[in-house]
Amino acid sequence: MIRRPKHEMPIIPTANLVDIAILLIIFYMACSNFLSVTGKLTPPKAPDLYKIEEPLITVSVDQEGAIMLQGHAAANAAEVEAVLSELLKDKTAEDSKKRMVMFKCDATVNRQVYQPVLDAIVHAGGLILAVGDNREK
Amino acid sequence: MRRKFHMRQLTQDAVPTTSLADMMFLLLIFFIMTTTLARTTGFITDVPMGTKGAQQSSEKSPSVVLHDGKITVGEDQDMTMPQLRNYIAGLHLDRKKGDAKVVMISAEGVVPYQTYYETLAMVQNASGVVALVSDEVEKK
Repeated sequence: MIRRPKHEMPIIPTANLVDIAILLIIFYMACSNFLSVTGKLTPPKAPDLYKIEEPLITVSVDQEGAIMLQGHAAANAAEVEAVLSELLKDKTAEDSKKRMVMFKCDATVNRQVYQPVLDAIVHAGGLILAVGDNREK
Repeated sequence: MRRKFHMRQLTQDAVPTTSLADMMFLLLIFFIMTTTLARTTGFITDVPMGTKGAQQSSEKSPSVVLHDGKITVGEDQDMTMPQLRNYIAGLHLDRKKGDAKVVMISAEGVVPYQTYYETLAMVQNASGVVALVSDEVEKK
């Protein structure tokens, strides 16, 4: 009678798996950026755009022409100007970073919608940070 | 000896952590699915405002008028987008200083944001200063 050696099942140590998962979760939580824009928005395209740091204030116009300020619906450009004036009132001309207002607008929106909003940002003392997608020349 | 140790372990009030890994992986999958590691691209512009009256008075600044799918430079020089690019590059705005860098941009009629944005980006990339010309606004 031949004695077969006992084959023990190899054990994969999984005790540290939780630590790795937690580290990955922290990474994703730190990098995540939940979208504040509710409507559908296709940004315009232009060549030679550069990477920009997202400021705290965001104004967006979706393809339906709905204006959103900080993720909340704004009735019109006048309301945008009033709220932005309040937000930017303490920011001096030297604080260019703090005066930045990110403007996201759908590429198909007509001028009657976006131009008053751009005017409102400028009148409120904001620096326009116009967001678009990079396109090859 | 081994058995004794095992018994001692069971009697301790330990928090069960066996399902922690499953929960962590569920969270991980959620974050992987929802995260967009998007880079925001665009340009920053400190726009001086002007009105049509002001535009007429400043003869020196080149003006670009966008109207109903057409691009007009100066008085009546119609251009396509590539032609406008060459025109703006030919202005050598990077060599100029102060008000000489200003390019007036106005829009009339139906102008989609795509056209407007591309024109603004063009002037910005050529080291110019964009001045948006809007209709006269009565300030009370």
